[in-house]
Amino acid sequence: MKTKIAAIGEKDIMLIFKAVGADVFAVHDIEQAAITLKKIAKEDYGIIFITETIAEKLDALIMQYSDMVKPSIVVIPGLGKRNNYAVSILRNAIIKASGTDVFS
Amino acid sequence: MLANVNPTRMELLRLKKRLTLAERGHKLLKDKRDELMRQLLGMIDDVKTLRLSIENEFQSILEGFMLAKAKMGPYQTEQALLIPKKKIAVTTDEKNLMSVRVPVFKKEVTGDIISYGFLNTTGEMDISLIKFEKFIEALLSLAEKEKTVQLLANEIEETRRRVNALEYRLIPEFLETIKFITMKLAETERSNTIRLMKVKEIVRSH
Repeated sequence: MKTKIAAIGEKDIMLIFKAVGADVFAVHDIEQAAITLKKIAKEDYGIIFITETIAEKLDALIMQYSDMVKPSIVVIPGLGKRNNYAVSILRNAIIKASGTDVFS
Repeated sequence: MLANVNPTRMELLRLKKRLTLAERGHKLLKDKRDELMRQLLGMIDDVKTLRLSIENEFQSILEGFMLAKAKMGPYQTEQALLIPKKKIAVTTDEKNLMSVRVPVFKKEVTGDIISYGFLNTTGEMDISLIKFEKFIEALLSLAEKEKTVQLLANEIEETRRRVNALEYRLIPEFLETIKFITMKLAETERSNTIRLMKVKEIVRSH
């Protein structure tokens, strides 16, 4: 099945994704990001890249897609401060599965 | 369950059948859980190292890109990248991993990443774009692995709940009910024997 790649995030970071041929959606605020994510999740995007700062605030929405095969949402670090959101998602998933934190 | 059960032989047979089925299911699900767990533990380390190395690398690529952009000016950069030549199509297949469907991505790349003339752009831009082009491969494999870990984790949780429900709830309940019915049937039989003995005694005394 052929799918496309999408990227959601700040405009500066989106430029580099545009260069590799991904469909980019530059967003300014969280509401806009939420609407965009919901919209493109329904279309045939296999992978959606989303920057850390936005992903952290859309936590509940991203979790909804965690048990679907498609789309696969990948959190990428953005510019500025790091918040380790992606690692914490993985850690939570593993704690849920095994009951202990084997991810340290 | 105990309250509304008929202490009959038929019910007993039915329950015994259900008990053997539950025990078989329990054993199978337990095996499934252990195997899923093994798969997950094998992947965790991979994903973790991949994730950490990608985060560091992306940071440095992004920094290089930003510097190049600052040098060229935002307007110029946007124009240079306005129409990308490179196209990435990802083919998503599904792999069956212990009855969990996990995605497998295969990418098809066409075109060159440098979509602009060299006149108005800087060399830094080329370098960071070429670096990013190589980097995208790692990103795809990360996407695949992270999704797999997440799906496996969900499946393990579900399976664990099923195993526990069978082990601590359903099977003990069956055992208890079977015991109850056996006792009840034995009791009825004893009381029947006693009644017969009594009747015989009364008949003999006349």
